[in-house]
Formats: sequence, structure tokens, C-alpha cells
Amino acid sequence: MTKLSRWPRWLKIALALVLILGAVAAVVGYNRFLRDYGAAQFDNPADRFKYGSIGAENDSGIPYWIFYVLPRVFPDLLPKPGIGYAAFGVNWEQGQELPIGFSKRRIGFDRVANTCAACHVASYRSQPDETPTLVVAGPNHTLDLEAFFRFLVDCAKDPRFNADTLMAEISLAADLDLIDRLAYRYLIIPITKKTLIAREEQFQWLYRHDFPEWGRGRDDAMNLTKYFMIRWPMDDSFGPTDMPSVWNLKKYQPENGQRMNFAGDSHDPYSVIIDSALGLMGAEPKDKRAFLGQIDWLVDYLKNLPAPVYPFPIDKALAAQGKPVFDANCAACHASARTGTVIPLPEIGTDRGRIDTWGEQAAIEANQVVKKMGIERKGLVEAPLTGYVAQFLDGIWLRAPYLHNGSVPSLADLLTPPAQRPQSFWRGYDVYDQTKIGFVVQGSAAQQAGTEFDTRLRGNGNLGHDFGTGLADADKAALLEYLKTL
Amino acid sequence: MSPSRWSVCRVLVSITLVLVLLIGLYAALRFLPDRPVAYADPVEHFKYGSLGGERNMGFPYWLFAVLPEVCPDLLPGQGYASLGFIFEPGHDLPVGMSKRRQLGIDRVFLNCAVCHTSTVRTSPDAEPMLVPGMPANRLDLMGFQKFVQACVNDRRFTPSQVVPRIAEKAGGLSLLDKLVVYPLGIHLMRDGVAGLLGRLRFIHMQDDWGPGRVDTFNSAKGIFQAPFEQLPPEELVGVSDFPAIWSQAKKQDMQLHWDGNNDRVEERNLSAAFGAGALPRIIDYAAMARIEAWIATATPPAFADHYPIDKALAARGQAIYATTCAACHGQSGKHFSGEYVGKVTPIAAIGTDRGRLDSYTLQLAQNQGMLYSAHPERRFRHFRKTYGYANAPLDGIWLRAPYLHNGSVPTLWDLLQPAAARPAHFYRGNDLYDPQHLGFVADQSTANGHTLFAFDTSRPGNGNAGHEGAAYGTSLSDSDKWALLEYLKTF
Repeated sequence: MTKLSRWPRWLKIALALVLILGAVAAVVGYNRFLRDYGAAQFDNPADRFKYGSIGAENDSGIPYWIFYVLPRVFPDLLPKPGIGYAAFGVNWEQGQELPIGFSKRRIGFDRVANTCAACHVASYRSQPDETPTLVVAGPNHTLDLEAFFRFLVDCAKDPRFNADTLMAEISLAADLDLIDRLAYRYLIIPITKKTLIAREEQFQWLYRHDFPEWGRGRDDAMNLTKYFMIRWPMDDSFGPTDMPSVWNLKKYQPENGQRMNFAGDSHDPYSVIIDSALGLMGAEPKDKRAFLGQIDWLVDYLKNLPAPVYPFPIDKALAAQGKPVFDANCAACHASARTGTVIPLPEIGTDRGRIDTWGEQAAIEANQVVKKMGIERKGLVEAPLTGYVAQFLDGIWLRAPYLHNGSVPSLADLLTPPAQRPQSFWRGYDVYDQTKIGFVVQGSAAQQAGTEFDTRLRGNGNLGHDFGTGLADADKAALLEYLKTL
Repeated sequence: MSPSRWSVCRVLVSITLVLVLLIGLYAALRFLPDRPVAYADPVEHFKYGSLGGERNMGFPYWLFAVLPEVCPDLLPGQGYASLGFIFEPGHDLPVGMSKRRQLGIDRVFLNCAVCHTSTVRTSPDAEPMLVPGMPANRLDLMGFQKFVQACVNDRRFTPSQVVPRIAEKAGGLSLLDKLVVYPLGIHLMRDGVAGLLGRLRFIHMQDDWGPGRVDTFNSAKGIFQAPFEQLPPEELVGVSDFPAIWSQAKKQDMQLHWDGNNDRVEERNLSAAFGAGALPRIIDYAAMARIEAWIATATPPAFADHYPIDKALAARGQAIYATTCAACHGQSGKHFSGEYVGKVTPIAAIGTDRGRLDSYTLQLAQNQGMLYSAHPERRFRHFRKTYGYANAPLDGIWLRAPYLHNGSVPTLWDLLQPAAARPAHFYRGNDLYDPQHLGFVADQSTANGHTLFAFDTSRPGNGNAGHEGAAYGTSLSDSDKWALLEYLKTF
């Protein structure tokens, strides 16, 4: 090998220049594409829950400026009359840059991803002319998650999803620097388009015409897990369920045989939170310690967060009369050792769709996937599903519509014989019905805000749980008043 | 090659190089400068200065200038003046239009003054007095939008018809302008107008606004490309009066806009600037700051400088005002303190037309939180959906006719009558003042040779009910009402 000193001077200079340029390019490239600038910090735990990043920006994040302009470039692809992401029924505090459950984080460039709060913050109003009250850890009964998934894919598939069109709209809002402009035009936009289109394959069942819409406030949770975490091929099952409330998780005592999720398919809060968070991440966490630290915080926060108190007047005397009715008719399942355990399907008689979406083998494989990531948790129950969990009723007033599939609009309807329950109604309107205990589900405002729920469609059956439907009207009224106090 | 050939070759190469350089230099000098026409005086700057909006939507000056000649039949009368634009002597552009040299041509667009300046005639023979900061109650903004849209889409808006007019008006055009710049400008303007007015297409779903009014927040939905065809119809009736913009420093923290949806002056200003095309990327902050400094302390002209005031009667009116009006509208025209000033009165209590209220939605407020996110210190954080109308201070109230948010009541005298006794039909757009009833003359169908706009209070959004009952002064005796009116002349 020739000695360095014998190299011609020009070659040395050129080499040095190349090295310097390479180093500069590497630093710039790292800073502008890969470097994680960290999650925004929040002092207030509720804000942390609502807006704190769980790290999902890494693999399922959408570049901020693409996220920003999508509803402006594709307003025609929004599912409902409305403006921007508000059309999906997200909870969005006025004055905030992003809806609740959307976090922004710079990993090279700003990216937007979701957090648990997207599905687990509830809103209600006492009347239409009122700003919604938000309840952290309540079920997001207004969110049309399926429509949001489809919107992203539909945008990516649209010919308008190209650098010229998106950059023109971005340029109305931001003055990107040269590197960002080039990066967006030649890398970020094309790659995002490709990534989103690739989701369509996994989302196939969202496009099936023989399945009804999830509609507002529901997701087909175990099919999401099946097609994303363990990558099973699409089968014919369909079982959307209500977004659950996630407050007061300390009530679950796995050691006493209590199970989580509607069909009792998971062991404990820690497992459920990890599995749900992994669903949001879309891949193995980049920084496992940070991820598990965030999980620990969530578990602690949600275990100790109390259920919300009924905010409207309660007739105390009537509620007191309802207590013995409850004890005689409901307590055996909802305030006893049976609470939190699986009630066999023949006994409960509700729609079986959800049970058929998951099973023992799926649980075994999913547990293996998580274990391979080096994450230890008790995990999913490796046994066949046989029924639905008898729910704890804390904060039941805000958990409408009822039954696991949200097929019964109000508690009053749940106390009517199944054949007389509403056959079709509108979900996703957040004005509260204090008489029936649930949300307003009929009328033009409910129709405008909501999605139609037809109990005759697949997975939507409103039969079963006919307990208490034969009570005298006076007893029902007293029972309803008592349920407000839970 | 022989030496002489070499030198010829060198000379040729040199000449070519020099030529290329010269052309490049010319092109750079011609197309690179970005320079507004600037004004030292703050009021001139307000009337004619640039906010930067030309950079996005600016019409080429000469195209704007010849448009009325290309499509005279699409205007209600002669030139832009027939749409209520105000031309001052010595200015080629109307009040509220600014000019900027950019991309090699002069470009023009609207600024704040177009909606916030008007004229007043204190008697039929008086010269119109220009009042910066008052509502532009003669300007037909919807008419302007529709005219521009119709003309640039007209078969006459072609280079072969338009460029010769420009050449004639400009006294000749260079070859570059004639063959490249303006023909290209025509296409770009057609594209630009289609883009902008596509976003604002809701205007075709509405009644004529008439002069002095705009649908502010349906326009704001245009920023988000709102799918207007799908929105509930009750959202699309949001037309309201242009407001006066004096004394802003005293209005910080009040709930601003008719429905009180934002309590920060600077955020409200940036939001309004969208209407002048001043988007986050291109807004001229320094120019904006000069306007903000001016409107912070600008005051309305005094009624007393133009008409007499009966001091004794006004003093009697002051006592009535203090008990009936002051809690919501402030102590006086200069002192705005009062328990409910700058706060929202619920719609059920105020009872005025709810069109404007319903045009502003929670969803819009939510989306507005994303505006200016590229500049975190300026990001919009204060828009809130409200459920009523805000109680505004009354500075310069004599010039703020017609009254109520939708301009449905022509004079203050009419506003003090029960709704049933207020005029159901009247004419808007006159600048002739009625010093007795306090408002513009509203019972004549023409002024200055222009046909005025017939306002029908039975149309959606135009309701003149509300602000009525003992709490609102409509049940006072006539003599008390006259006294109250006399006092309001001092505001």
C-alpha cells in the first residue's frame, strides 16, 4: 500500500473534503431524519394521559405536515359532514393544536401518532348549546375509528396524494426550510404514501361489504390484534365492541379469577395496557425501558383514577328505593364474587360475534410475540372463549350504549324486554338523556352527529341480558335512579 | 486552427457569455424583487399598505385595472366604485387595496381597510368624509367576489382580448410583458381565483349579503377546505356586519367578534388577516404591527364636530344610559368598564338572529387550534365556541349603523323600538347620515346615482328581533329614548 504522504496533494485535499462533507451529511441526516428529540412532558397527569407520547411516532407516526393537510386536500373523503379531523368525532379541546389522543413528537421531523386517550376519553353535554365536558378514561363513544383508518388509506390511494398537491397546501401554512422541502417532496411524501397503502392489505376486513360499519364508539379489537400483532390471514369473524372505560382499574383482582376485556380474554390491567399500547405502536418499541416506564405510569394512573360521579341531580329517596331492587336483581352478577368473571354465553345470551373473533391458539401466538420482544406480562388467557364478563358498574352512567357491542342505547332500554329494545338508532351524539340514562340517540341532531346502528346487522344483536326486564315500572324507575349513584 | 480563428472564437464566446450574464441580470432585477409600495403615515399605510397577501393571491395590477372594461356588463355600474369601493383623488387603487412588486409585476390585493373604512356625508350636499376604521358599509364584498370569479372565467378573459387593453391603458408594453408575462398572468389569475373562490364557494349557497356585510366564519372554514355541500344548512347563514376597529388596546381580553369567540386582539387580527390573503407563510409581520399600533389607539370622529348636541338633553340621557345600558356596554364611549362588557349574553336572553352564532361551530374552533402551528408563539389558542352574542363597547356608535350583528336595524332610534315596530324592509349602502335617528338614511332606494340594496329582514340570517324589552330600553318613553339617543351622540 502506498504511503499516505506519497499521495498527491490534490487527492488528499479532495479526500479530506469528502470526509468532511460526509460527516456533515451524516450529522444533518441524523438530526433531520432519525434523532428522537423526546416526548413533550406534562406536569398534570390528565394532560399526560391526553397528549403524552407513548412512542408510537416511530413506526406508526404520520409526518406532521402531511397529517396537517390531509383533511384539506381530501375533504371529500371525510366520513361525515364536518371539518378536518373533527369529522371523525375525536375529542378536541379548543385551543389545543391536536385532538386528545394525538401526540406530536420530533423524530428527525415532527410526526403525529395516537395514544390511549384517543379511545379512552368520553364527552357529554347536558344540552346542545354547551361545550362538551370531557372525562378522562371514559369510553370515546363519538370516535369513528374505522373511518379514520380508512381515511388515511383512501387518501394515500388517491391520485391527489402526490408531492405537488400536498406541498402546495403545506406551503400555505408553513415555510419549510430547504432540507424539509426536499425531504418532504422526495422522501417523506412518497414513503408515507407507500406505507399507508401497504396498510390496506392488513385492513382488508375494514373494506368488506358484507360486514356492517363499526360506527362511532366501537372497534373490532381482537381482530385488530389478530391481523396486526400475529398477522393471521383474514377469516370470516366480526365482533366490534364498545370502547371501554379504563378508570379505577384496581377493581380487577386477577387472583380471584377476574378477567379483563369484554370476553375475559386478558389477565390483568398490566397486560391489557401493554397489548393495547403495542397495537398503537405498530411494532416492537424502539426504547423498551422508556416504553415500560410509560406503561407503569399508565397502570398506576388508571388503577387509581376514580370513576366519574353522575353530574346531574339524583332523587336520593328514589335511589334508596332502588337499592333493594338492585340487590335482588343485579347484585348476584354485578356486585358479588361473580363480578369480573366470565358468564357463560348460554346464560347471558348476548351477541356471540365478539367471542368468535379470538381463541386459544391466537392467545398463545400473541403471547409468544410479546415475549419475543422481551416483555414479561401475564398476557392473554390461553383458553377458548366461552362468554362475556359480568361488568363492574362503576360510572355506568357514562358507559352508554350498553352491552359489549353497544347495541342498547340506554339503561332504560336495557331494562325492556329484548324484543322491544330500539331496533335502530344513532350512535355518537354526546347530549345526555337523563331520563333514559344514556345518550340521545334519536332526532335530527343525533342523526347529524352520529352513525346509524342497526341491531339486525351482523355483530350488532341486541338480544340477551333480559335480567330485570320483567320488573314493575316503579321498580325500574327506582333501579335506574340507584344506578346513577354507582 | 489559426490564431485569428481562435480569437474570433474567443470573442464570440465572450459575447455570448456577456449576453447570458446580461439577460440573467435583467431577469433577476425584473423578477426577483419583492417590494411593497410603502407609506410613512400610519393611516395611509392602513388604507393602502401591504400585509403581504399579494404574494399568494395578488392580482397583477394591470389585470385588476382592466377587468371592469373587459366585463362591464358583470358590474352593477361604472367600475369598481359601483361595488362600493372608495377611490380617493390621486390614487389609482381604491382604499383597502395594496400594491407590491413581486415576480416581476405589480400585484394588488385587499388589505384591512377594504372592510374597515367608509365615507359619511353629513348632509346631501356635503363632500363624503373618509373615516378610517369604521365599518365599510358601502362595500359589496360578495359582489366583488362574484364579479372577479365571473370575469376571469368569461370567454373575454383571454390574452388576445386583455393584453391590448393593458397596453393601451399602460401606454405600451414591452415585448416580454406582451408575449410572456401577461398571457401567463391571465392563466395564473384564472387558476388562483378558481382556487380561492373554490374554497369560498359557499357564497353561491347564500342570499346576497348586500353592502357592509360578510360571512366571516364560513370564509374561515375555507381555510380548511370545508365540504360546504355537506354541512348542515343552519351553519351557512353566517352573514354579519363589518365591525369598527377603533380603540383596540382597551378591548384586549374582551370576548371579541360578534359571538365573542376570541379574547385576544392579536389572535383576532391574525385571523382577520387571512381574509386579506395574509397566510402564515407570507404575512408581513412588521406591516401588521404598524396597523395594530394604529388601531390600538385610533378613535372615531366626534359627532359633535359635525352636528350640534343638546347638552342638557344628553345629560338626562346619561342617567338613563347608566341604569339601562352601561352594565353591558360600558360607562361611556371612552370608558368601557361595566360588569358584562365584553362578555357573552346567551342567545336565549339576547334573542337576536342566531344565524351568525350557528355559523361558528365547535368543530371550527377546534380546527383553528392548528393555525399558525409553524410559529408556536403565534399559534391560535383562544378560539372558543360560544352560545350567545358579545356585549360590545359603543365607541363611535353613531357611525356603526345599521345595528345588531347582522345589520338588520337601520338606526339607533329603530333599535329602541320593539322588534315588531322596526322596519321590515330598508335600504343599505347609503353614506348620507341621519343625525336625528342616528344611522344612515335607509328609506331611499338610490344614492349618488347608485341603486341601493333592499334589505329584507324576513330572509334567513336577517332577522331584526331581539335586544328587546325593558332591559334593552325598548319600553322607555319616547322622551327618554330621545334623551338616550342624544347621549349616545357623545360616544
